[in-house]
Amino acid sequence: MKCTARCETIKILNLSDEELFELSRKNVLSMSLEEMRVIQNYFKKLKREPTDVEIETIAQTWSEHCKHKTLTGAVEYTEEKDGEKTKRTYNNLLGETIFKASVELDKPWCLSIFKDNAGIIEFDSENGVAFKVETHNHPSALEPYGGSATGVGGVIRDILGVGLGAKPLASTDVFCFGDPDIEISKVPEGVHHPKRIIKGVVSGVRDYGNRIGIPTVNGTVYFDDGYISNPLVYCGTMGIIPKNKIDKKIESGDLVLVVGGKTGRDGIHGATFSSIQLDKESDVSAVQIGNPIIEKKVLDTMIKARDLNLYRAVTDCGAGGLSSAVGELGEKTGAVVYLDKVPLKYNGLCPWEIWISEAQERMVFAVPPRNIEKIIEIFEKENVEAVCIGEFTDDKKLTLMYDNDIVASMDMEFLHNGVPKPIKSAFYKMKEEKVQKPVEMSSFEVSNSLNSLLADLNICSKEWIVRQYDHEVQGQTVIKPLQGNNIEISGPGDAAVIFPYTVVKGTKKGIVLSNGLNPQYGKINPYNMAASAIEESLRNAVAVGADIRRISILDNFCWGNPNHPEILGSLVQAMEACYDISKAFEVPFISGKDSLHNEYSINGKKYSIPSTLLISAMGIIENVENTVTMSLKKDGNKIFVLGITRNELGGSVFSKIRNIEGGIVPGVYHRESKDIMEKIYSAMSENLIEACHDCSEGGIVVAVSEMAFSANKGVKVDIDAIKIYSYLEERCRSGREMTPAEILFSESNGRFIVEVEPDNEEKFKKILDGSIFSEVGYVSDDKEVIFESKKNNVKIRQNSEILLNSWRNTINW
Amino acid sequence: MMFEIEIFTKKGFKNLRGEHILSDICGLSIENITRVEYSPLYVVDGDMSFSETEMIASEVLIDKITESYVIRQCDTECCSRVISESFDVKETDRLNLDFSVIEVWYKKGVTDTVSESVVKAVKDLGLIKEIKVKNGHKYYLYGEILQVTLNNVATRLLANTLIQEYKIH
Repeated sequence: MKCTARCETIKILNLSDEELFELSRKNVLSMSLEEMRVIQNYFKKLKREPTDVEIETIAQTWSEHCKHKTLTGAVEYTEEKDGEKTKRTYNNLLGETIFKASVELDKPWCLSIFKDNAGIIEFDSENGVAFKVETHNHPSALEPYGGSATGVGGVIRDILGVGLGAKPLASTDVFCFGDPDIEISKVPEGVHHPKRIIKGVVSGVRDYGNRIGIPTVNGTVYFDDGYISNPLVYCGTMGIIPKNKIDKKIESGDLVLVVGGKTGRDGIHGATFSSIQLDKESDVSAVQIGNPIIEKKVLDTMIKARDLNLYRAVTDCGAGGLSSAVGELGEKTGAVVYLDKVPLKYNGLCPWEIWISEAQERMVFAVPPRNIEKIIEIFEKENVEAVCIGEFTDDKKLTLMYDNDIVASMDMEFLHNGVPKPIKSAFYKMKEEKVQKPVEMSSFEVSNSLNSLLADLNICSKEWIVRQYDHEVQGQTVIKPLQGNNIEISGPGDAAVIFPYTVVKGTKKGIVLSNGLNPQYGKINPYNMAASAIEESLRNAVAVGADIRRISILDNFCWGNPNHPEILGSLVQAMEACYDISKAFEVPFISGKDSLHNEYSINGKKYSIPSTLLISAMGIIENVENTVTMSLKKDGNKIFVLGITRNELGGSVFSKIRNIEGGIVPGVYHRESKDIMEKIYSAMSENLIEACHDCSEGGIVVAVSEMAFSANKGVKVDIDAIKIYSYLEERCRSGREMTPAEILFSESNGRFIVEVEPDNEEKFKKILDGSIFSEVGYVSDDKEVIFESKKNNVKIRQNSEILLNSWRNTINW
Repeated sequence: MMFEIEIFTKKGFKNLRGEHILSDICGLSIENITRVEYSPLYVVDGDMSFSETEMIASEVLIDKITESYVIRQCDTECCSRVISESFDVKETDRLNLDFSVIEVWYKKGVTDTVSESVVKAVKDLGLIKEIKVKNGHKYYLYGEILQVTLNNVATRLLANTLIQEYKIH
């Protein structure tokens, strides 16, 4: 193989182990010694040294970001409980937990899971809906605006690149940040202040989403000091795709067409970079800048080309750029690419930089030669650059050319399946959870706590963020993020509903998007954190009208360094919970993503983020007319609490603000809650429910208050009427009754607050027959929110406007 | 020829970005800065005459109701000579006030989508010429401000030094 001056030979054949590892470190390849040895052996067999293009291609393809080596690798797991250790070996952690649950559930309405850029479930007889959620943490830590904007742009391209291309209908975003009020002197050197990160990230999502014309409809923001140096930015997009456009099929001879943005040095080493830890010397070139206008043009034109059947496959250029896109498409066939044909932003790029650049807004198509002129004409008509850069072959090799020289030639088999699977050790020691000491509070103290909870960063209004986003563009958003009587008074919706009537003519069906996340629980019990996140996402979806039998979920794990056995141990716990709860609720995972190595160093000391699992749920509603919002509707209507309240204050917001030690993290009791979820759907289908709200952070008292102040109404709740679990129950055994404060602030899963008209009460109760629920109060016209326990002589009385102000004044920049 | 175009908010209209920056500065507990004004900057480099540059400024870059502009010719490295002022821009207004200026520009090689859009908009105007555009930001900070404070504001709020560079003058 000849090498031009632009392409260097990397001498590795005779390197020692130390030299191999140093080569990986020096060139930001993020490869382990074992991987470097495998590469060395491969090229020894070829009897030649590799080029820099080949080394960079392997590093990108084998990166944690692209290959998910930890999750798909082997794990030797040890669990310690009550001094006894048990062991289990996973050959493929993902395969034996999350993926296994989906395979075993085998839902016929799952059309494409874990094999494409997004998961797809059936919408109706003609169409599927695709959903994908990505993380863009490290780029957002370095350049919050560009990082989050390209996070949105990237996940939209995942939807464009699923099957033969889905039309994006809505986006979601979830962020985890440090305390925005932290003193600047306490922010580590080289790290942006959390407030600057928040403002930058929100602006990036806003500008990209609003300009490309896709509504941002659902999300959440979570605050914890553990995210100060390493914020988390999750971006999701949902789109609709005809069922006959779900399969990609590449044939030898198809041309490789790159469409959209030009290639620059943007994001070089993004894939390998996301697999390493952040420190203040992070790599400049890992930053990407997005351009939504170009992506919008690509979106519009490619859907036209798709409907004319002009191409056989498409994928996006994400992390790893062309290397990843062409490599994946040509895995089974082989491909030859002429790197000098790739349109560049400026001169001076080396072949390897062209190949792995993560310049944004690019898609790669496999086009039969007979269609090439027609498809280029369609793109060029809209000023979208489309250039043929190579073809798919039948030699199962990746061949890269530059100025008539071969600069890379490798077997696809080695590239895609040659990566050695690591065996990692994981350890988890079960922590003992005990019910806290009785929380005895006066009415006055409970009242104050309610205001403090509503003002807490993790409960307070995110209106400042939400209202910057266009959540209405395309005109299909039926259930919106903020709900209430008017613009000036609103409460937090549980989930969003999209009614895709402009794409699917004559349909009545809707698509629900929701999420669940609670890293605080994970600090005590990662299993119950994961279980709670799944249940919360399902509750949120069900609260607006989703059918629990038609909900699918996505996982996004953001964890610390998996090379630490304790951190990997907590990941194993969370993934086991995913398997159990997915099976128990019969809710399949359809896609997911992991971002590991969320670790940063300050003054040489390493810190990990709190283990964070985001669960995003997507469900189908048969009739969007049956959807329900959370704000109270009419004076005199009855208030019900569905589900049972346990003494579960572990990891709760109340425990945090009152410094309560101990407490049980909420568990998931799937039989109870699945039964209630099914019955809520039945009741909503008969229009028996006026308002419904999920009960989570802050407990019943917060959920009821939100329903009241978003309607500018009053409500009276009898605390004694709330169903509580026997104090003799095994997990929450305390040997005592719950106090009123514990009942009000417990964050037990499986609960909903529901408003029902008196005329519908009997029918509603009949549907709920056999489930745990109780009528606890009524809607009043006096704007007074009252919680009373005559048994304990406690009465909390608050004006709903005061509660609203507590809720909305924390983040009001 | 190379020209620098600076956009001003007209008197009587709020300089919203400046106000937001001032609020952020207060949030960082930095004192002595009493007012902030923000001006977008564009450097247009290419075969453009002065009148063509004026057309770009007035037709592409400003909102004619709320904004006006100044064009300076860039003789050497820095832009010096004011060769045009649209009406009611009076740089002399600031002469009697204490103020400092921070300029922020992208580093070389960083994708600048605003500039890309300007190049396209200029073509759409009918000016078919090869031009290069750079987009920057200029902040006027009023008050007696120490150099160390200016550096702090620049690095903490105005410029991300990973992709941008700043000048204080």
